[in-house]
Amino acid sequence: MATLNETDLKLFVDSIRTYLKVTTRQEPQITSAFLGTEDLEGFEFNGIVTFSGSHNGHVVVSMPARLVREILLLQHETDLRDSNLLDAVGEIANTLAGNARKSLGSELDISVPVKVQGLNGIKARVRKHPYVITLRWNHYEAMVCVDMDRRH
Amino acid sequence: MRLMIVDDSNMIRTRIARVVQNGGLQGVVLAGLAKNGKEAVRLAMVTRPEVVTMDLTMPEMDGIECIQALLQFDPSINILVVSALSDKSTAIQALRLGARGFVAKPFSDEELQIALLDVAEAR
Repeated sequence: MATLNETDLKLFVDSIRTYLKVTTRQEPQITSAFLGTEDLEGFEFNGIVTFSGSHNGHVVVSMPARLVREILLLQHETDLRDSNLLDAVGEIANTLAGNARKSLGSELDISVPVKVQGLNGIKARVRKHPYVITLRWNHYEAMVCVDMDRRH
Repeated sequence: MRLMIVDDSNMIRTRIARVVQNGGLQGVVLAGLAKNGKEAVRLAMVTRPEVVTMDLTMPEMDGIECIQALLQFDPSINILVVSALSDKSTAIQALRLGARGFVAKPFSDEELQIALLDVAEAR
């Protein structure tokens, strides 16, 4: 299995930046990008999309409740119950994964998002050391974990 | 003009509904909201939408299958695909099946309004 390269990883950085810029009109600050060598502690709301086809693995978007609430409020959403926060973080993961097809090709298949509430939402499944992108948006921290490889 | 919104995300369904209701899209009324293709087909038979916004990645029945089913039921339905699958081949596949337009997620309210007007005016 071939590993992702820097360009592949950058598309996820660009994607989360574009998502927040378009939906909130405020760009996030990318605070770090590194190889996760230990168990990753994420945030309470997690959206997970699984890749198959040309690639294998998943992408996880992990955000604290206050950040997801802000994103919803800026879209004039009034339903701020946990179920809607989970829906939102799942949709963000779906958007990042879907946008990846533009660069990784149409042979990349993506699943519908799985939503997990709780701090243990991030588990590496494919790579020993998944790629981790951390960001700050409006004083709130968040994380995108890219745990995937090319099949060939 | 009756509009049906099809998307598995509640956030996206309510956002599109809000853009339509608050965005001054004259003559557009909401005919229904569906969270997957199967629900959309059932709802379309009852509400007879003229315009549909369609997600592609959904459980139960995805958007590609749903486009085919809706157009078989009523070939005059105008479908605007609203999807994160923004690669060219996906867009081309959707348009070949009969969709009239494509908006990539993430989208701004203005982008969606313009695309909806284009699809509505093409009727």
